[in-house]
Amino acid sequence: MKTFTLAISIASVAVAVLSQDAHAYLHFAISAPGQSRVLKWHRTPVRWFTTDRGVPGVSASDLQAAMARAFATWEAVPTASITFQFTGFTGAEPFDDDNVSVLGFQAHPEMERVLGATGFLVDTITEEIVESDIFFNSTFQWSTAAQGDPARFDLESVAVHEIGHFLGLGHSALGETEMRPDGGRRVLGSGAVMFPISLGRGITHDRELQPDDIAGVSDLYPEAGFRGRSGVARGQVTRNGAGILGAHVTAFDPRTGALIAAFTLNSDGEFQIAGLAPGPHVIRVEPLDDADVESFFSRPRSIDIAFLVTFHDRLFIAPAGGAGERFTVAVRPK
Amino acid sequence: MRVRGASLILAVLLLGALPAHAQTTGQRPVRRVEVDAGGGFLGGAGLGSADANLRAGDPVRRPFRLFSTGSRFASAPTFHVRAGFAFSRRIGVEGGLMLSRPDIRTSISADVEDAPQITIAERVDQYGIDASVVVMVSELSLGGRTVPFVAAGAGYLRQLHEGLTVVEQGHVYHAGGGVKHWLLSRDRGILSGAGVRADARLYLMAGGIAFEDRPRPHVAVSGSVFVTF
Repeated sequence: MKTFTLAISIASVAVAVLSQDAHAYLHFAISAPGQSRVLKWHRTPVRWFTTDRGVPGVSASDLQAAMARAFATWEAVPTASITFQFTGFTGAEPFDDDNVSVLGFQAHPEMERVLGATGFLVDTITEEIVESDIFFNSTFQWSTAAQGDPARFDLESVAVHEIGHFLGLGHSALGETEMRPDGGRRVLGSGAVMFPISLGRGITHDRELQPDDIAGVSDLYPEAGFRGRSGVARGQVTRNGAGILGAHVTAFDPRTGALIAAFTLNSDGEFQIAGLAPGPHVIRVEPLDDADVESFFSRPRSIDIAFLVTFHDRLFIAPAGGAGERFTVAVRPK
Repeated sequence: MRVRGASLILAVLLLGALPAHAQTTGQRPVRRVEVDAGGGFLGGAGLGSADANLRAGDPVRRPFRLFSTGSRFASAPTFHVRAGFAFSRRIGVEGGLMLSRPDIRTSISADVEDAPQITIAERVDQYGIDASVVVMVSELSLGGRTVPFVAAGAGYLRQLHEGLTVVEQGHVYHAGGGVKHWLLSRDRGILSGAGVRADARLYLMAGGIAFEDRPRPHVAVSGSVFVTF
């Protein structure tokens, strides 16, 4: 039930990229001896270009306008402080290492299930992103229609997802899929724009960020006061007393319906979910599906998926600022 | 017709009570200041239900449900102290502090991955500070020593978790009544009287840890010992 293979994006990172240890969500990070460091932009506004070429149904100006709306969506998160600036149209291609961030269409017929991808150029000394490019696969048909086009993928929705990577966010596992006859996956439900599979042609839902996306970007680029107003859940997932790597931990706020999730990111099974609204949360732990692991982790073989869905046996009450009491969820083996 | 019938019954009751009032109210001196302390039980109340939903992949379908929850405040013992001032034999005001430690209990069911149904809980410290108007219904007193009363008021609700790491605030409104029974009554000395008191109240709590906007009703019963000065 919970497997998927049709990725709408990949993060083609110019350096070794891992998820950061014991931190909320999947943030891109570079590995260094004994540690990993989160990748993010240090200088704002982040300047971006769009290519001066359109595709059938989407002109260059349509492309620019859709990108501007997608950047504005991230910029509008009140608990995050990141700004962008459109610099102009360019004849340069995405994925040229030229210190210029370019978004545009490219034809990649060999990537038959990839709608778009994001790449980085990173200063490995400062852990600063110095360039990030996004391509949208022009092998597919695209639309910028306000209500979407049932026969085409919504460019703005996919752009919002890719710009999440552009900012340094990895994929969210808040979603459920089922197998299609052609071997792909159909999304039954998605709880985050950063879920790695498109909702499908004509659907514009991903123009709007979900609580998990907002918590992720706010944790990476916190606005002053964010950490003082939101709470952190910290804990450990164990099976038979040993930590589990790669367990998906979700915090559900019954008051708002918000779902915010993270992974256990070290062999001790430790996790941390930041950006929780103060108050009670239900904590649910589930394994990633084996077809899913590569969407989230660069070393899928080390990810433990041999356990059953388990709820924490207490309500977690997030404090208004700081972390609540650490807790352990002991999962049941499969 | 039903209204008239009810009015008739009420009138008969009052007529029956009035002679007792005439005989007994004169025996109970005006008590100016009253202090009481005691304990009781605060009934539970539903906090509402909520589903953990994902957006459906198909725009015409309902949200995809991961699991369902239903939450409530469990009933809990309470402790209280109150201080009151009687303006007359009939009307007084009082303020009080009520403490309790109820559990928030959440039942989780219908998990999409067939996780077993489970009820999880967490305890919170709850403080209510309120003020009330108290009306003694002396007409219904029994022998002059046991006097019913009605009371209503409002106050401030504060809920804490793990010390001060979580502080939720709200409002509390209440209405109810009870009886006071004087065990001691004298005209001399600082202590002018003492007795026991029983209360039944309906609380409406708004805000605090709440999963829905509407106030939640709690029934409370309590007993206390009081002294008057």
